[in-house]
Amino acid sequence: MGRSVAIVGTGQTVHRSRRDDVSMMELVREAATSALADAEMRASDIDAVILANMELFEGRALPEMWCAMGAGALYKHTLKIATGGTSGTSGAIAGFHHVASGLFDTAMVIGFEKQSDGQTTAGMALTDPMWDRHVASAAIGNFAVSISQYLAARDVDERHSAMVAVKARRNACNNPCAHLQMPDLTVEDVLASPYLAYPIHRLEMCPTTDGACAVIFACEGKAEKLCSRPAWVRAAVTRHDLPYLGDLKDRLLTMRTLRDAARKAYEIVGIREPIKELDVAEIYEPVTYAELAWYECLGFCKEGDAWRLIEDGLTQMDGVLPVNPSGGVLSTNPIGASGTIRTAEAALQIHGKGGRRQVPDVNLALVTGYGVYSWSDVMILSSSKG
Amino acid sequence: MMHEDEFLRVPITMDLTFRYAAGRYFTHFFREIKDNKRILGVRCAKCRKVYLPPRPFCGECHSRMEDWIEVGPEGTLVGFTVVYFSFHDASLGGVRPTPFGAGLIQLDGADTSLNHYLGESNVANLRIGMRVRPIFKEKREGNISDILYFEVLG
Repeated sequence: MGRSVAIVGTGQTVHRSRRDDVSMMELVREAATSALADAEMRASDIDAVILANMELFEGRALPEMWCAMGAGALYKHTLKIATGGTSGTSGAIAGFHHVASGLFDTAMVIGFEKQSDGQTTAGMALTDPMWDRHVASAAIGNFAVSISQYLAARDVDERHSAMVAVKARRNACNNPCAHLQMPDLTVEDVLASPYLAYPIHRLEMCPTTDGACAVIFACEGKAEKLCSRPAWVRAAVTRHDLPYLGDLKDRLLTMRTLRDAARKAYEIVGIREPIKELDVAEIYEPVTYAELAWYECLGFCKEGDAWRLIEDGLTQMDGVLPVNPSGGVLSTNPIGASGTIRTAEAALQIHGKGGRRQVPDVNLALVTGYGVYSWSDVMILSSSKG
Repeated sequence: MMHEDEFLRVPITMDLTFRYAAGRYFTHFFREIKDNKRILGVRCAKCRKVYLPPRPFCGECHSRMEDWIEVGPEGTLVGFTVVYFSFHDASLGGVRPTPFGAGLIQLDGADTSLNHYLGESNVANLRIGMRVRPIFKEKREGNISDILYFEVLG
């Protein structure tokens, strides 16, 4: 383990289905400026910049070139991370590694996506041309197949899934940046929305969003001066798996990348009972059923008991472990930024700057990222350096 | 201040061709389907797992795999969906007609499963565990679309 590193500032754009008022570069600048203001830093205080974006979704090559100016990255060490849905959390983990290494004292990570510019569903279907591209139906299609397996193995019914959708869109009402804010959404509304791909209804799936999010990391010694309550990175783990959907047996049930990343992260921090010890979780749930499946993989409940957590309200804002006070990916999904937003929202809770979505007394926060069929990132942030 | 509707958008439409090298394993796999309607997997000599699609190395134990084994042609449906949303087709371009059935098929003798079309698009007629068999194209070309879809046998 290198130096201790903390998140000292976060910033987000207003996330909407279309931000026609800004170019991609202007969107990046909006997030970067906001994070610098939050940390009371200047662009010249940042030593390294990490950009996270899935450029083939916009069909615009070299976003690091177009956006470096907006990111305040000129004449600085700058890298881009593109690993699908995990881009934003992998970018955050890369930012952490840069500072932990001792080579840079500060790093800014900016995740962004301007989905309205391009063709995300086509971009997501660019799987192996030899094998399943001809049948690929983006995240909706591959999740639908996996959910059929999950439903066959678990005592979950569609009402539990709809409860996750309602929780997300209602929580989003407390988050001024969130895209889908639906205060009056009901379980019945969710289940009455049309099927995208059986068994997924439209309101059970994440939206497509234009947005960006920036997070600033600083080393020990600087972090305490920049932030009254730094969010220390206590664990950062990434895991990848075999390449094809059909390689992953009962994917949502097994999800061995997320299970192993969480096991390792809990081991590093010394967490034994995550639902009791964690104060908040910001998890990457592209679809309602994924949130239920991740509850099990993350050890929030016994195998098969995920439905009890949502039915008993244990992951609501006033529950024992609030999950996604921000509204989650189900409410806001600028893909390259979605993982960065999870990181920023978890840090925000430790900073005590959550506003109407603040959970009281947050000392330990979990972040997850999800990408492609089964890539997983897990980070644990803490108010204590450890 | 400009109103939201006043900002311009610049549309671009592309019609492009890509050419992907199949390599030794996929070439052999597709030739056997094209010439003999035989579906081949490869077996890991160390962990005994039979992989579809065939690939030169076992991702789990890193062993070289040379042991070609015929699998299927029949198999079991291990996951399914019926797609209603009109997706862009990333093989052909354009929008794919809906609804269509798709699923993961575990061919007899294989340990991994194949993501493909089903000949059934009524959810009420689909369930995990059903037996399926491939329907091959008459004029096969040497790619995965030489299997048109999997017929559901019940």
